[in-house]
Amino acid sequence: MTGSQPTLTSEVGKVFSLLIRNRAAAWDRVRRGIGVVRARVQLRGCSLGPRVNVLGSVRVVAHGAVRIGERVNFWEGTIPQEIVCEEGATLTIGGSTVFNYGVSIRAKSAVTIGARCMFGSLVILHDSNRAKTAPITIGNDVWVAHGVIIEPGVTIGEGSVVGAGSVVTEDVPPYSLAAGNPARSTPLAEDERRPKAS
Amino acid sequence: MSTEEVPLSRFLTPWKLQRCAQVGRGVLVLGRVWVRGKGKVKLGDGVVLDGRFQPIELHALEPTAEIVLGDDVWLDGGVSIEAVVSVRVGARTRIGTFAKVIDNHFHPLLGNRHARPPSLPVTIGEDADIAPRAILLAGAQIGDGGSVGPAAVITRRTIVPPGRTARGMPAVVA
Repeated sequence: MTGSQPTLTSEVGKVFSLLIRNRAAAWDRVRRGIGVVRARVQLRGCSLGPRVNVLGSVRVVAHGAVRIGERVNFWEGTIPQEIVCEEGATLTIGGSTVFNYGVSIRAKSAVTIGARCMFGSLVILHDSNRAKTAPITIGNDVWVAHGVIIEPGVTIGEGSVVGAGSVVTEDVPPYSLAAGNPARSTPLAEDERRPKAS
Repeated sequence: MSTEEVPLSRFLTPWKLQRCAQVGRGVLVLGRVWVRGKGKVKLGDGVVLDGRFQPIELHALEPTAEIVLGDDVWLDGGVSIEAVVSVRVGARTRIGTFAKVIDNHFHPLLGNRHARPPSLPVTIGEDADIAPRAILLAGAQIGDGGSVGPAAVITRRTIVPPGRTARGMPAVVA
C-alpha cells in the first residue's frame, strides 16, 4: 500500500472505476468490503486491528482476551473456522496472518501466533488436552500446511514450515521444515529462507 | 451405506451439479457439494457424492483446470479436491471422509511464499481406496487397485504401485 490513507470516498471511487474496467476485480473488492463488515459482526468481543477480513463464517467463543492484528484474513470454505478462548486465557494473532477453512484454535492458557503466518485448512491448535495445558507459541512467517495438529506447549520458530498432515509434538527451531507423525525438523537451506521484504 | 432414505436427492442432483461441465447418467448427490472455480468438473456415470456429514468441495481453480471422476466413484463427506491443472480419479474408486487431493502446493518453500509453484497432475487409478483423512499432494500417483491408509500423506516421491498399500506419514509402501 503506497500513497495517502484510504478513505471511504476514495474506496467507493476505486470500486466504481474498477466496475467499468474490470468486473471481476470490482466484485472481489466488494466481497472484501463485506468481509470487513462481517468480521466486525462475527468477531465481536475480540479486539480487532484495522481491515480484519472474514470471507466465510467463524465460530467465536471469546471469554478471554482475543487480540487479532491488522489485515488478518479468514477465508471461506466448506467448514467454518473456530476460535475459542476461555476465561483468563489469551489468544493473540499477528498482522496479515491468513487462515484457510476449518482451522480450530482453542486457548485455555495462551496461544500466540506471529505476523504473516499462513494456516492451511483443518489445522488444529489446541493448547490443552486431558494430560497437559501449556501455551502454544508460533513465530512470524510460519507456514502450517493442511491438516496439521499442534500439541500443547509447542513453540514453532520464525520462518518455519510444517508439512501437510504432520503432528507436532515438540518444539520446531526457526527456519526449519517439520514433517511427519511425530514431526521431525530439518533446517531449511539458507537460500530457502523467505526474504523479509515481500 | 444406504442411499434409499433420501429420494428427493436424485431429483435435486442436476440443480446441485449445475456448474459441472459434464455429468454422467445416474449421478447422485446427497447433502451439500461445492463446485467452484473457473475450470471443468466432469463426473462419470453412477458417481455418488455423499455430502450429508460435511460438504464436499470440488474446486477447479484455473480455466484450464480439470477434475475428472470416473464411473461409480464414491466421495464421502468433507472430501476436498482442488485442481490447478488436473486431478483424475479412476472408475470405482472410493475416497474417505476429509481426504484432501491437491495438484499444487500453492506456496513455495523457496522465495516469495505468495507466488504459486508449478503444478503436478494427480492420477488415482481404478478400484483404488483412499482412506479417511489421507492427503494426496501434488504429483501423487496411485496405481489401479492401490490403497492409501488413514491419514497417510502421499507426495510426488511416494509411488504407490498397482494393488499395493501406502500407510503413515511420511508414507511407506507395504
